[in-house]
Amino acid sequence: MAAFEPVLTKGIGELDLADIDVYKQHGGFSALEKALKEMTPEAIVGEVSASNLRGRGGAGFPTGKKWSFLPKDGRPRYLVCNCDEAEPGTFKDHMLLRLTPFAIIEGLIISAYAINASHVVMYIRGEFLEGYRIFKRALAAASAAGYLGKDIMGSGFTMELILHRGAGAYICGEETAMLESIEGKRGEPRLKPPFPANAGLYGMPTVVNNVETLCCVPHIINRGAGWFSAIGPPKCPGPKIISVSGNVANPGNYEIPMGISARELLEEYAGGLLPGRRLKAIQPGGGSSAAIFEEDLNVGIDFDSLAAKKTMLGSGGFVVMDDRTCLVRASQTLVRFFEHESCGQCTPCREGGQWVARMVGRLEAGEGSVNDLRVLGVINNTITGTNLCPLGDSIMPFLSSVLRRFPEEFAAHVQQAGCPFQKAPEFSAA
Amino acid sequence: MPIPKGPGVQRSVSPLQPSSHRLVNVIIDGNAVSVPEGTLVVEAAKALGTSVPVYCYHPKMDPVGLCRICLVEIEKMPKLQIACSTRVSEGMVVHTMSERVAEARRGVLEFLLLNHPLDCPICDKGGECDLQDFTMSYGPGASRLNEPKLHKPKAVDLGPTIVLDEERCILCRRCTRFDAEIAQERNLVVVERGHRSLIGTENGGAYTSYFSGNTTEICPVGALTSKPYRFRSRPWDLGHTDSICNQCPVGCNFRIDTRFGRIMRTFTRENTSVDDGWICDRGRYTFNYLYQPSRLRQPLVRRGGEFVAASFDEAIAASAGPLAAAAQTGRVGVIGGGRLSDEEAFSLQRFARQVLHTNNIDHRAGAQRLASPARYQARLEDLDDASLILIFGALTPEQAPILDLRLRRAVARRHAKLLFVGPYRPWFAVPCNYIEYTPGAIGDLMNQLSDVVHHGREEKGDGFVSEIANELVGAEKIIAIHNGRDADAAGALDRLMDTLHQYDHPVGILVVGSQANSRGAEAAGCIPNLSPAYIPVDDPGMTTHQMLTAAAEGKLDALFIAGANPALTYPDGLLVRRALDSVPFLAVAEQLMTETAAVADVVFAASSFAEKSGHLTNLEGRRQAFKAAVEPPVGVFSDLQIFSALASALGREGVIAADADAAFAQLRAAEDLIRRARGGQTSLPRPQTDDVSDLHSGDAVDATHHTLAIIPVPRLYGGGGAAAYDPGVAPMRPEPFAVIHPDDAVRLGLDSGDRVQLSGRGGSIEVEAKIADQAPPGVALVLADMPQAPVNRLLDASGFGSATAQKLRAEERLRGELGSSSVAVGDGYAAAGAGV
Ligand SMILES: Cc1cc2nc3c(=O)[nH]c(=O)nc-3n(C[C@H](O)[C@H](O)[C@H](O)COP(=O)(O)O)c2cc1C
Ligand code: SF4
Ligand code: SF4
Ligand code: SF4
Ligand code: FES
Repeated sequence: MAAFEPVLTKGIGELDLADIDVYKQHGGFSALEKALKEMTPEAIVGEVSASNLRGRGGAGFPTGKKWSFLPKDGRPRYLVCNCDEAEPGTFKDHMLLRLTPFAIIEGLIISAYAINASHVVMYIRGEFLEGYRIFKRALAAASAAGYLGKDIMGSGFTMELILHRGAGAYICGEETAMLESIEGKRGEPRLKPPFPANAGLYGMPTVVNNVETLCCVPHIINRGAGWFSAIGPPKCPGPKIISVSGNVANPGNYEIPMGISARELLEEYAGGLLPGRRLKAIQPGGGSSAAIFEEDLNVGIDFDSLAAKKTMLGSGGFVVMDDRTCLVRASQTLVRFFEHESCGQCTPCREGGQWVARMVGRLEAGEGSVNDLRVLGVINNTITGTNLCPLGDSIMPFLSSVLRRFPEEFAAHVQQAGCPFQKAPEFSAA
Repeated sequence: MPIPKGPGVQRSVSPLQPSSHRLVNVIIDGNAVSVPEGTLVVEAAKALGTSVPVYCYHPKMDPVGLCRICLVEIEKMPKLQIACSTRVSEGMVVHTMSERVAEARRGVLEFLLLNHPLDCPICDKGGECDLQDFTMSYGPGASRLNEPKLHKPKAVDLGPTIVLDEERCILCRRCTRFDAEIAQERNLVVVERGHRSLIGTENGGAYTSYFSGNTTEICPVGALTSKPYRFRSRPWDLGHTDSICNQCPVGCNFRIDTRFGRIMRTFTRENTSVDDGWICDRGRYTFNYLYQPSRLRQPLVRRGGEFVAASFDEAIAASAGPLAAAAQTGRVGVIGGGRLSDEEAFSLQRFARQVLHTNNIDHRAGAQRLASPARYQARLEDLDDASLILIFGALTPEQAPILDLRLRRAVARRHAKLLFVGPYRPWFAVPCNYIEYTPGAIGDLMNQLSDVVHHGREEKGDGFVSEIANELVGAEKIIAIHNGRDADAAGALDRLMDTLHQYDHPVGILVVGSQANSRGAEAAGCIPNLSPAYIPVDDPGMTTHQMLTAAAEGKLDALFIAGANPALTYPDGLLVRRALDSVPFLAVAEQLMTETAAVADVVFAASSFAEKSGHLTNLEGRRQAFKAAVEPPVGVFSDLQIFSALASALGREGVIAADADAAFAQLRAAEDLIRRARGGQTSLPRPQTDDVSDLHSGDAVDATHHTLAIIPVPRLYGGGGAAAYDPGVAPMRPEPFAVIHPDDAVRLGLDSGDRVQLSGRGGSIEVEAKIADQAPPGVALVLADMPQAPVNRLLDASGFGSATAQKLRAEERLRGELGSSSVAVGDGYAAAGAGV
């Protein structure tokens, strides 16, 4: 393995980092101290910009740039931490929340200081009950230690952190739906513009950042932008946690330097496929991403390389499917998820998703027709790219990519009036 | 966390307000156009005559970009963009008809049609449905759906006015956004999620907004349907007539849609200056009373104490003698005009003055005394940029709903402040500050305010006087609204406005009267001291109060009342009853058997607004024309025809025009003459008013006894006349109630829901007690003008009164119910027990 030292996951599995003393003994809160005592907010924004850190929530938007979009008009600003992680195949934020909560808190305070937000909302997915309790305890410990509240570490900076639990809707992970949810409304994405930077929470300038993004910030402060941007491709550098799941020997979260190949990730980190199996498809960026295949394994695991392959790094959920996987069934599982999670505002997402789910379900049940295959082949044109938020654009990529690559597997479901994999019930879908 | 208030909360600007006045050049489908920067693409296209299909977009609401039917291609943007929320910029090149756009539209329509029911043949919207129309223009030729349609609830009873078909709903959310953004009520919402989404109410109860009918119009499909119109007609079978609503003094423009000579529905007819494209449900649904058996369809003449049907000529003949005789001695009076057209009001005063030779003419049949401000007449649009809206006593949500909608927008979205000064705290849809002030003392308050404002901010007057004064001084544009009841207070308000005006505040006044055309009647001279256009007469006649007093004292021989129901609406119920009982001859022109008509000697069956043409003057002084939509029933004549025929019978043929155009010409001629004579003089003489200040002093509230001060409160669906008889209004009709303070309730042993008897100077009424601290201690807020419990029995001419309250025990209730059936309620629908 390369000489890459884990950064974000360092100590996880060995130390009880949910204990504030342990966290401090291993360098915890040193970045906060440096930031508050030695750096101006502008300097922090500058450092983060220079590091080329790109958001780990899915879209890969440059974090420093996002911060510098905030208008300087004296209105109160808010920082929201997105810990709603619900993307199929993604479980990295949940791990950070449970195993190293102070890293999140430290990242949050530094970032809030950098953008001058005195109120921070931590939005935790409703199902993460254990994580919520751990984080709540961590919050109390950090407050008791003087890292939160008034005049933090004598810097004059005051910050309050509000915990907000979601109620189980995937769409609330979308940043504007999250803001609606925090405001007590239905979790539904807003029309943009205006962007949250201008009119976010309660109409005020707001930054929404992913948990992992924020966890990168203390390290950038401690070690400098140069160190960070030297890890991996210069345009999307840094350490990255990938959640590997599916038909591999060792599923789990792996911290990699951005840009290593999919093959390296699969073989060196995740222990390769199970004995005797052949690779069929991989979703490199969670349930929303188009699949890559055997022939694509040299692609770099980073935002730009995957985008060039017409898929994405997304949230970093790396889902591996071997030759036992029925891709119709896998598609059905995913499409059903999006159909169920659609907020229902947009016609293509709401109606199209429901229609596709019914068609794929029919195929899998052996009741599909050639007409269904024809429609599935073109419906991408009217569903994808026509919606208000990216959820609608997530319905089709996987299905379209595997239908294009394995048309015969879909056709077989029609010809045989049933699923050819029925006899292999141990197959695994996403 | 503190929730910040202020401009940030509003997420987007109104579509009608582009971000700047700078013009930019854009090319749409090859055609160049210059529009203000920030104009929405859909509006820019409209300017070129290009229509981009829309569902969720509505020009009066914030764009939300949900339905995606409006996708267009914009050069240099890789993805299709929604025309309804993308704003133009210099050099933008837009294609609305490219193949990519066509494909996207086909796609959206295909999705919308997937589970849409095949209801078109029986759907109310068929023929004016955007889903039908856009499918014709842009839709896929065939369905690719290969499975049964999904089903959702049909014929859902959403509330008293609306039936919802969830299957037809395309979830554009215009209705829910209307309720939130325009009505500011937020009860109509989306429930469930995704394709399971349904339209429902936030509180789980009925959708009872006063503005509900508008949702049936803005619904692009047939999902929301009006109960009175369901399955009544197809749009292409309807004839359309431009009309004006005559249910309140706002004067919303609307259209009457008819079929087979019968009114099927009414529909908005946007006038941005007046109604902004909306009408309220009272205006929309009050027309089916015309088709009830209770509608008067021929004249009635009293013979031997009983009414007998008579021909028009017989009724005229029966009236001519008594009226002529009374005119001879000058012991005659005329009341009415406030519910007639301008030309009829003009003709009515002409009838009084030139045929009966009396100045005893007054349109004021209720507590309202003034219909116009002496100075600073505001326009409704002045509310839009007001910074302070000051209401004195007027209940705008109940008395002028569409004005209230404008007020809601000004407060909720344009940052006006709302201040209500009155004897209690009425409900407003938007945040309001209240100054509780005793009736009768408001004039004093305004004089004090004037004083404080005049002397700068020095602490003068008591605490809150200087507080309001500071609000006034701190505001930019100030609009005051009052109900025209207290002439002294109105005078004091004028002086306050003078002071503010002097300090460079733009100021304006609106008077919200209780009759739809009191403003027109006042201007037309239905006032004892003023002839048309506010010209003083040499020998002022009697006011309504004076006429009633004279009649009660046996000093009047005949009364003619047209389009007014003082028996129910005149505050001094005791006086009006004595007057109507004592006057030897009473002739009434009415559409329905009102409490006044019921005691008349001759009743003329008069036509309704839908059956005649003319003009109405709204509370701004704006005169608007309306046209006859249907023929009156045989035997029913317009008020103009009645006045004209009476004049002829009294030997003054030709003095009163029988036809609206001719009467209008006479009115215009009179106005022109006066305008020329008056020159530049602007300050007009004021209507003569009664000094009733001495009347509301007597009955001081004695908290140790069972005595309560009585304040009548109007409700939109309350009142006698049309609302009492209309089956469309019946489900919304409130039951008589009295709101009583919890402390008084304890003293009186009352619970909410108890029957309580209120007894005052003119008799007693029975109402339901509602216990709430909206009523100040010692006060009962009693629903006004209800035929089965006329509050005027408890009032004096001031419009206020007092009564002893007595809880009714079960057996008394029974007796009360049996005994109180003296007044017919509307036939057709059973009166439902709607709440406040
Ligand atoms: C349907 C949907 C779900 C999302 N869920 C998440 C999520 O669970 N966690 C997350 O961090 N971002 C999620 N995002 C992305 C957020 O909208 C947002 O881009 C992100 O939180 C920004 O943080 P970053 O800049 O740090 O990546 C989601 C986006 C969409 C469209
Ligand atoms: S794309 Fe889907 S989830 Fe996103 S706003 Fe539209 S309907 Fe809601
Ligand atoms: S009921 Fe009509 S207006 Fe309301 S969301 Fe459905 S289609 Fe739109
Ligand atoms: S607000 Fe007045 S004028 Fe307008 S529709 Fe209602 S009742 Fe008619
Ligand atoms: S009209 Fe533009 S998205 Fe609905």
